[in-house]
Amino acid sequence: MRSLLIRFFLSFWLIIGITIGAAAMGGYWYAQNVRDAYESFELGDSILDASAALESAGRDGLAIWLKNFPETRGLKILVLDRSGRDLLGRPIPKILLHQLDRRRHLMPPDGRRRNDPANLMRARPLSQLVGPDGRRYTIVVIPARGGPPARGLILALALLVSASVSILLARTMSRPVQKLRDATRALANGNFDNRVASSIGRRRDELGLLARDFDIMADNLQRSASQQIELSRNISHELRSPLARLRVALALARRKAGDLAEFNRIDEETERLDALIEQILSYTRLDSPAEHPKHLANLNDVIADVVADVNYECRSDGADTKSVVAEFSASIDLPMHVQSMKSAIENILRNAVRHTRSDTRVLVRLAYATRDQVNIVVDDCGAGVDEEHLPKLFEPFFRSRPSSEKEAGSGLGLAIARRAVEIHDGSISASNRVDGGLRITIELPV
Amino acid sequence: MQNGSEKSRLLLIDDDRELGDMLRDFLAPDNIQLQPCVSGEEGLAEHGRLGFDLIILDIMLPGMSGLDVLRKLREKSSVPVIMLTARGDDVDRIIGLEFGADDYLAKPFNPRELLARIKAILRRTHFTPENNGEHVFGSIAMNGSARTVFVNGNPLPLTGTEFELLRCLLETPGVVVSKERLSEQALGRRLLPYDRSIDTHISNLRGKLEKSGSGKESIQNQRGVGYVLTPNARRKTGPS
Repeated sequence: MRSLLIRFFLSFWLIIGITIGAAAMGGYWYAQNVRDAYESFELGDSILDASAALESAGRDGLAIWLKNFPETRGLKILVLDRSGRDLLGRPIPKILLHQLDRRRHLMPPDGRRRNDPANLMRARPLSQLVGPDGRRYTIVVIPARGGPPARGLILALALLVSASVSILLARTMSRPVQKLRDATRALANGNFDNRVASSIGRRRDELGLLARDFDIMADNLQRSASQQIELSRNISHELRSPLARLRVALALARRKAGDLAEFNRIDEETERLDALIEQILSYTRLDSPAEHPKHLANLNDVIADVVADVNYECRSDGADTKSVVAEFSASIDLPMHVQSMKSAIENILRNAVRHTRSDTRVLVRLAYATRDQVNIVVDDCGAGVDEEHLPKLFEPFFRSRPSSEKEAGSGLGLAIARRAVEIHDGSISASNRVDGGLRITIELPV
Repeated sequence: MQNGSEKSRLLLIDDDRELGDMLRDFLAPDNIQLQPCVSGEEGLAEHGRLGFDLIILDIMLPGMSGLDVLRKLREKSSVPVIMLTARGDDVDRIIGLEFGADDYLAKPFNPRELLARIKAILRRTHFTPENNGEHVFGSIAMNGSARTVFVNGNPLPLTGTEFELLRCLLETPGVVVSKERLSEQALGRRLLPYDRSIDTHISNLRGKLEKSGSGKESIQNQRGVGYVLTPNARRKTGPS
């Protein structure tokens, strides 16, 4: 079907139409049945029993006969006395009372208007008996009250039809919607590769159009995301050349003019720019998970390598009094992209070493948190971070306090760490330790 | 370190012509004659024609990539190569070292650092160390003065850096040599933090030794300490 509008319209129309039709046909069929029974009903030999009962026991005998008369589906047998009351005291339909009032005797239903349901309500006299006391009793048959017993059947039929059509309708809706939803979620998580149009079939309705629009949107997002990554890479690469020339020019100037304090400053700032470009490059590179294939590696080895590097850096930077200590309570093999895992741990450790006080140690621990999660916990002995700044710690270029230029990092270290952890489907969080210092926790699924 | 009269001739392959000119000026007082050229094809041709003492190669070149140049170069020449890599691009760096570069420097570099590395490599190629004797260890035989290595009697082609690393390890077999010492001896420079070049060179060397069928001898990694040449081939750890 071409459009959802038509599909909905036809479905609802179909449901309502079938229900009405079923109800009408059911009603007709019932009426036909009852009328046939009503018209063909005869007392037969029972009339002799009735007569005998009346003969021997009078009115009461006739009442007992009536009580014992076998039930007939859809019909009711009444015995009326002259005053128009049923022998068993059963209520007499109003319309029958009118009939009695008007005519004082009973007539068969009008033959010309058999199909009028109102006729059904007319009592058809079957026989008249005269008791020993001379009283007359009329035996009549009327349709039982309470409506057609097929009402339940019609209701069930209507429910069945409407339910099955509705389920069909809902399924044609919900499947593609579910697919679209999955794809949208994947897109939100940065996976630009999902397309839906091919997976929901060749629909030409609004959902099919929506799926194709979704794909176009995903294409555009993917393109603009990759353009953005490409752009920041190009910017960083293009910055290299002037920076490289700047550094050589500076070295030449130093040679001609001798060592000036300003030269050192220029050197320092150039190096800072350099480091910043490096960090921006690694940060943008982490944006594309596809570029980070994972292989099984030992997490302990990775951490030990980084700890050795950071300690070596401490020694060569003259920060001899600080060090990093690793504690492993399990050996853990994980599928990982070793390079980015290393850079996550490295950035966290460097940050911790930068902020921990002299003569203190940074402690990194690796342990199972639950059966399917490992935690890497890094504790430093620094001043910690204001509580309200904790969640922002992993945002690019966020600084918790205006720190002196010397101790400041690039502002990207922890942001890089978070991206690298997220590539491994893990999460990273920061908290202040009870006994002072910052704790950074990496949670990784195993 | 250089002989006063003898000039070292270097080739720079980098598409930044201005940088090349400035570097030429910067290196000239140290008796280093730098010839800049701007493309890989031109560089390879120049080296084939003139033969340089050392090549400085930018990995990111327009047209023929630096890695391709390096691979082409290594097909027939063992001239020392210093790569200029992108900041933070460890992959280029590692691949470069695997393709046989001797050392790398992230660009933009400190020119004094570049000068130090050039001198270290030139020193290594111009002056063979005193203890240039023979080393034999299991199936490995090294002739220090001829700069040749044989495994089971078959020659094993090594780059200059790999040769120096192997020499370091052969001098004290069974004793762990620190990465700091390996860096100073083989690369002629201090080990830098996060410096993976020794690890990459060692893994190349290990690969070549294994491929040549050096029976049981193997280079093992002592995590956080350094490397050791052992007579038994049991590898303790995975790649590092």
